[in-house]
Amino acid sequence: MNTLSLSNVNVNLGESAVLRSVNLDVPPGSLVAIVGPSGCGKTTLLRTIAGLQRARSGDIRLGQRMLTTHGLHLAPEKRQIGWVPQDAALFPHLTVAENVAFGLGARGGAAGDSRSLRKRSHDARVTELLALVGLESLADRSPAQLSGGQAQRVALARALAVSPQLVLLDEPFAALDPVLRAELRIEVRALLRTQGVTGILVTHDQSEALSVADYVAVMNEGEILQFGTPPSVYGRPATPWVAHFVGDAVVLPGMWSHGSVSSALGNASSEWVSTLPAPADGVTVSLMVRPEQLVVAVGEDHGAPATVNSVSYTGHDAVLGLVLDDGTVCESRVTAAGLLSAGTRVTVQIAGTCLAYPV
Amino acid sequence: MATRRAPRPLVVLAVVACAITSIPLLYLVVRVGSSGLDELTMALGRQRIPQLLGNTVALATAVTISCVALGVPTAFLLTRTRLRATTLWVIVAALPLAIPSYLAAYGWLAAIPTMNGFIAAWFVLTLVCVPYITLPVAAALRVATSGLDDVARTLGYGPVRSFLLGTWPQIRPATLAGSLLVCLYVLSEFGAVALLRYPVLTTAINQAYGSSFNRNYAAILATVLVALAVLVVIAEQSARGRAKRRFTAGSGVVRHSVIRLGRWAPASYSLVAIVPLLAVGMPVGVLFYRLLQAETLRELNVTELLAATANTLALSIGGAVIAVVLALPIGVLAARYSGRIVRVIESVGYLALGLPGIVVGLSLVFFSLAVVPALYQTAIVLAFAYGVLFMPKAIGAIRSSLGQVPTSLEDVSRTLGYSTSQTWWLVTARVARPGILAGALLVAVTAMKELPATLLLRPTGTDTLAVELWSRTSASAYGAAAPYAAVLIVVAAIPAFFLSGARRAATEDTA
Amino acid sequence: MVLGISGCSTSGQSEVTSGAPIASDGRLTIYVGRAEDLISPLIDQFTADTGIEVSARYAATPELNALLLEEGENTPAQVFLSQDAGALGSLRNSGLLTALPATLTSLIPAGFTSVDGTWLGVTGRARVIAYDSEKLTAAQVPDSVDELTSADWKGQVAFAPGNASMQSFVTALRVLEGEDAASAWVGGMSENSPVLTESNNATLDLVNAGTVKVGLINHYYWYEKATEIGASNMRAQLKFLPGDAGGIVNVTGAAIMTGSDGDPDALAFLEYLVSEKGQRYFVDTTYEYPLLPGIDAPAGLPSLSSLINAGLDLSDLDTLSQTQALLARYGLI
Repeated sequence: MNTLSLSNVNVNLGESAVLRSVNLDVPPGSLVAIVGPSGCGKTTLLRTIAGLQRARSGDIRLGQRMLTTHGLHLAPEKRQIGWVPQDAALFPHLTVAENVAFGLGARGGAAGDSRSLRKRSHDARVTELLALVGLESLADRSPAQLSGGQAQRVALARALAVSPQLVLLDEPFAALDPVLRAELRIEVRALLRTQGVTGILVTHDQSEALSVADYVAVMNEGEILQFGTPPSVYGRPATPWVAHFVGDAVVLPGMWSHGSVSSALGNASSEWVSTLPAPADGVTVSLMVRPEQLVVAVGEDHGAPATVNSVSYTGHDAVLGLVLDDGTVCESRVTAAGLLSAGTRVTVQIAGTCLAYPV
Repeated sequence: MATRRAPRPLVVLAVVACAITSIPLLYLVVRVGSSGLDELTMALGRQRIPQLLGNTVALATAVTISCVALGVPTAFLLTRTRLRATTLWVIVAALPLAIPSYLAAYGWLAAIPTMNGFIAAWFVLTLVCVPYITLPVAAALRVATSGLDDVARTLGYGPVRSFLLGTWPQIRPATLAGSLLVCLYVLSEFGAVALLRYPVLTTAINQAYGSSFNRNYAAILATVLVALAVLVVIAEQSARGRAKRRFTAGSGVVRHSVIRLGRWAPASYSLVAIVPLLAVGMPVGVLFYRLLQAETLRELNVTELLAATANTLALSIGGAVIAVVLALPIGVLAARYSGRIVRVIESVGYLALGLPGIVVGLSLVFFSLAVVPALYQTAIVLAFAYGVLFMPKAIGAIRSSLGQVPTSLEDVSRTLGYSTSQTWWLVTARVARPGILAGALLVAVTAMKELPATLLLRPTGTDTLAVELWSRTSASAYGAAAPYAAVLIVVAAIPAFFLSGARRAATEDTA
Repeated sequence: MVLGISGCSTSGQSEVTSGAPIASDGRLTIYVGRAEDLISPLIDQFTADTGIEVSARYAATPELNALLLEEGENTPAQVFLSQDAGALGSLRNSGLLTALPATLTSLIPAGFTSVDGTWLGVTGRARVIAYDSEKLTAAQVPDSVDELTSADWKGQVAFAPGNASMQSFVTALRVLEGEDAASAWVGGMSENSPVLTESNNATLDLVNAGTVKVGLINHYYWYEKATEIGASNMRAQLKFLPGDAGGIVNVTGAAIMTGSDGDPDALAFLEYLVSEKGQRYFVDTTYEYPLLPGIDAPAGLPSLSSLINAGLDLSDLDTLSQTQALLARYGLI
């Protein structure tokens, strides 16, 4: 199987640089999620990989084949990369089955096949794919009669019909309700795995990325800030910005001293995260902890005194907004058992190791 | 959407199409160029010119405004309210397209002989032009959403204001496109205003050909018309703005609320019925009356009638095909790309629509004799003339229907293995087909009624229904003219029927 | 239907060229600036009598004139049958007509045909006043157009200022009564709230509907309309103006295009038009005046000789352009 790799890809739209020196290596058979805020360039990145957008410089390689390099831009129709856009984009003048079969017409069949033989093999493929997405009964419907989720499934089936090596999905679940979204992403994940197809999924929903992808690439302003497995991106974000974007983060100023940081929340053992060498003692650093690392207790002496400011209840847990006595604001994630009401006086402590970054 | 630069082959095609439709303009340049400076100043300095200019501008403005004032509410009633027998009303609304303006004027004049001047011309031209607004606005309303209106209502705005805030921006491009056609049509119109004795620039142009036999003078005046047309086209483009409507190919039917009429019902039905009734009912009624009045009911030569009908159909279809072929590159360019070149190409494409038919006809005589003399006075040149004359009518429909094809469809097609041209043919053109067809139908229905260019360019002995009608009415043989007028209206009603989108309306879910 | 252009190109003023006569090819292409209903039976008769096949193109004279000017020497037309002399004059001035043999042109009396033999008068139409017979008696209608500038006729006179025969009437006025008198008349009319129309037919319709009391038209249109709706139903009636400039006779005419110089088929057609048979056709069918001496005018019309046409070259375009300048000066065109 093949990997996709991008080296130093730069893309300009008009005058502005949208992708700056992007490097990406996608292992075969994996599902990579690209997350980032709106306007960070993730859709452009996807379009560049598909060949729908020209790169100003850089190389894009898919397995053995060079797709984009200096002096070469392989047209999209030659790249054999599947594309599932945000709005499903089903052809309104074709039925569901015809939509799925659309790409098969371009490939033709093996040399020497008669027309009817080709048609039968195409029909078989269409039926197979519709069965895979659970929509065989809708084969003759027109796209206007489908729901959002059904349309996305058809779009995926259509992209897979031509057996691509790589499928690109541009925020495919954005228009769906949360329950459907959760179901569908698991289905898509499973489908890609069984078909042995590598996938790249673009989303602005970081929890979606973390839950479904094998690897996560975090993008901002045209650059990939971090690439790694979900636990590594969540557990060891490369910068405070990434920490804020992927999950919730509490970031405070603190003072570094021999592998621990002292801050308004007290002392905590800390890991230095940066390409720069660890600082000398006494230097101010940024301390990052996850809300679930802040332990809240009532009626105890250890920890920083604080007042509960707000309670955000989600059923399986709650996020308590806290204000420390010195004015610092932070939040703690507690289970339902630890639910407190606003105004309660508590003490806050950090559990586990936190991360320190340059200011 | 990223600003993509238009691909060169497309621009070249569009420029070629534009150049072809600029043949009348080139002709004017040649004629004006061959007149001396004194001739120019003398021509433009005639005492009557300011009056004619003022009249032309006043009439064009007034007719455009009244057409919008009648057309938009009618379109609204047809698509957003619970009218009984909607399909029927939709067809009826399109019928005035089948009536040549000179026939409408003639009918009204016969009923009210004292009718003349500005009010009369305004009245009659409005009647025949309202469908140019009603049809595209109705089409736009069918795909527009009323969700924004609802939001405005919750914010405290009344129903009318909410409509202006929510729905109007979605139908504004269609309204503007229709207004452009109406305005240019009034500029070029001669037959009806001549009968109604309202002097405009075309009056002087025709007089110049008719008595002074001075083609240069006529060309100078026609150039003034072109200048007016340029202003109108620029105005429409700037009003349309740079906003390109992008609709997503979402699943599900576009939902908009449908209004019950209640006590507004009688007024609503009246509004929807009145224009077609006056535009079609009156001329048809008068024709029959004249038929009965004619002492010498001349024998109807059925072969002649059938031949004329066949010619009318063949030539107008040929003209429609040529018009669409010319309009496609320009429409694609205007739908997908922006930039000054695009705007200029589109504008120039529209200008010929503001010229009277006799000028366009003569320009093609000049051109075909110079370039393809073997084809002179053949059906090909005449169909070509129709294409050149009426191509601008197709541009608007093509541009908006192409603009509504989401680019994501094209992206998908490319990634599935189809090249750009294959994608264009299999996906874009296919999805935009209804709009392209509408453009063709609009050209066909107009070509059926065309007279001056036809008289000049038709193969000797080949007559269309409009020519036969004219030759009889100009000899006061109204009785003999009536069957031709009747058949012309019936034949022209066919594309009008298809343009009304009645079949689509009938199958629509307006729940 | 493209005619092979022969090698010789002559200007309108020269004699018929000597050299080998052109053979008849049994076919003729004509442009007819008159109604098809009226002329095609005559053409059919011509074909029946001579065996020459005719391809006829019908349109209004102004459009055909513009067309012929635009086509120039590449025109497929061999003969042009025009509704007025002005069109013929403009073609002659552009060198597109060929001189006709004297044997042909001498058939029509001077004053009703071209002065230089470039075109042939065929029929005559008198300028008349059409009046609303329900509001006026014949006696109340003036004998001269001069009276129409008075206040009694304010807003009640209709005419088509752009029409060729109207303009040739004004030319006649200038020639017969002098520039000053003509200027005074045009000025007077323009201040008398004239009702301006685009054609003689429209003028007649207005009188027939009672919208105006009088209209200036050619007599022929009344008969055309009467044939359609019946003479007894015509509210408008005609008054001829013998001896007045307002009653002059305009002519319809025919000419041969330069490319067909000497073509016997073309000559045969023109001969037919002014033959007894042809002239009688016009008398019976169109109620126009025959120009061939010896043929009786249609019943009920004053004789041709009583209507002025003294020394006027109806096709003289130089005077015509001065007439137009006059009309333009008073804002009528």
